Amino acid sequence: MKYKDYYEILGVPRTATEAEIKGAYRKLARKYHPDVSKESDAEARFKEIGEAYQVLKEPDKRAAYDNMGTQWQGGQDFQPPPNWDAGFEFNGRGGNAGDFSDFFESMFGAQAGGARGRSRRPMHAQGEDHHAKVMIDLEDAYRGASRNVTLRMPMTDASGRVTTQERTLSVNIPKGVREGQHLRLSGQGSPGVGQGQPGDLYLEIAFRPHRLFRVDERDVYVDVPLAPWEAALGATVDVPTPDGSVQLTIPPNTSAGRKLRLKGKGLPSNPAGDLYVVVGIALPPADTPEAREAYAAMQLAFHFNPRAGF
Amino acid sequence: MKANESPALQGRVVEDEVQLTLLELCQASGAPRERIMTWVSEGMLEPVGDRPPDWRFTGVSLRRTRLACRLEQDLELNPPGVALALDLMDEIMALRAELRRSGFR
Repeated sequence: MKYKDYYEILGVPRTATEAEIKGAYRKLARKYHPDVSKESDAEARFKEIGEAYQVLKEPDKRAAYDNMGTQWQGGQDFQPPPNWDAGFEFNGRGGNAGDFSDFFESMFGAQAGGARGRSRRPMHAQGEDHHAKVMIDLEDAYRGASRNVTLRMPMTDASGRVTTQERTLSVNIPKGVREGQHLRLSGQGSPGVGQGQPGDLYLEIAFRPHRLFRVDERDVYVDVPLAPWEAALGATVDVPTPDGSVQLTIPPNTSAGRKLRLKGKGLPSNPAGDLYVVVGIALPPADTPEAREAYAAMQLAFHFNPRAGF
Repeated sequence: MKANESPALQGRVVEDEVQLTLLELCQASGAPRERIMTWVSEGMLEPVGDRPPDWRFTGVSLRRTRLACRLEQDLELNPPGVALALDLMDEIMALRAELRRSGFR
């Protein structure tokens, strides 16, 4: 187990006041909040910051933590000294059990993290609803698919320890589902208490990033490069869609950046989305005498000034 | 545990097919009833129906409510602060969608 330097994590000195700790926490929490942050390690950082704040904001936990002494370095192997917590009493509040480091749990116990509001459960109650995210491919949303979804759930066992239990469900991904939508699976949440009904499981749909396609709600975008003569003279080209390739007629004098709409070729729905082909123009390199000659001939033929508008 | 041999589970798309009562939204989001009522009075959630027992929330409210809960708890925001954050996040999403349409990833 590694020692965690909670002061270092929040970037405050050991002498920091409660107000300084709160200020440092809030600033870092805004920066690394997974719903807001674009940092790649946001989620891990955010958990670490939250854990540090859980300990340092409460005078009794902070005192117990300080009581272990200052000789430890963050990341150093660590065993709590005997009786380090004698005379301290912790009240659990906030946070989710299972979200804390081994270090935190060995010091304050998984319970200190606090499963929220479970102490006064009635005799019969509906089980809790659960949420999880599932990644699918855009193609799955076009055709519908059956996917195995593995869920990890923190469970409290008979002796009060938090363990992680895995279960795998086979789930039908309905055709036309969009990013950010939720699938509700009735009765797949926590079991009910007494005669209560089990809770539901909500799966939030996310698409894996696609090499070719961008998705905006029901509409799908694909960049298609054209040769200059295809764009100028018109052509019929094969264009990929998530449902296989289609032939698209390019009208003469198509300029770069123009969007050509394939109606109804976006995500299936009622009404279906559209597929937009965003045209790009790729220049062949002038790397042979013939190619250079061809460009020079164009120059003579066109008297074209692309900067005439300046 | 291995997947059962039983047929795949059939879910319903919350945003398209489901409307939630106040009670169902509380249960699904984990937010207390009073908090949801505050957020409705902030104009952050807009159910149809006149009185709380008649309220029906769209499926989109679930995502919004869960986001609001996380922001409130993690950033210690008050209801107007949560409402402002959600409005700004909606705006960022719309701008990002605009960028995607114009060809930026």
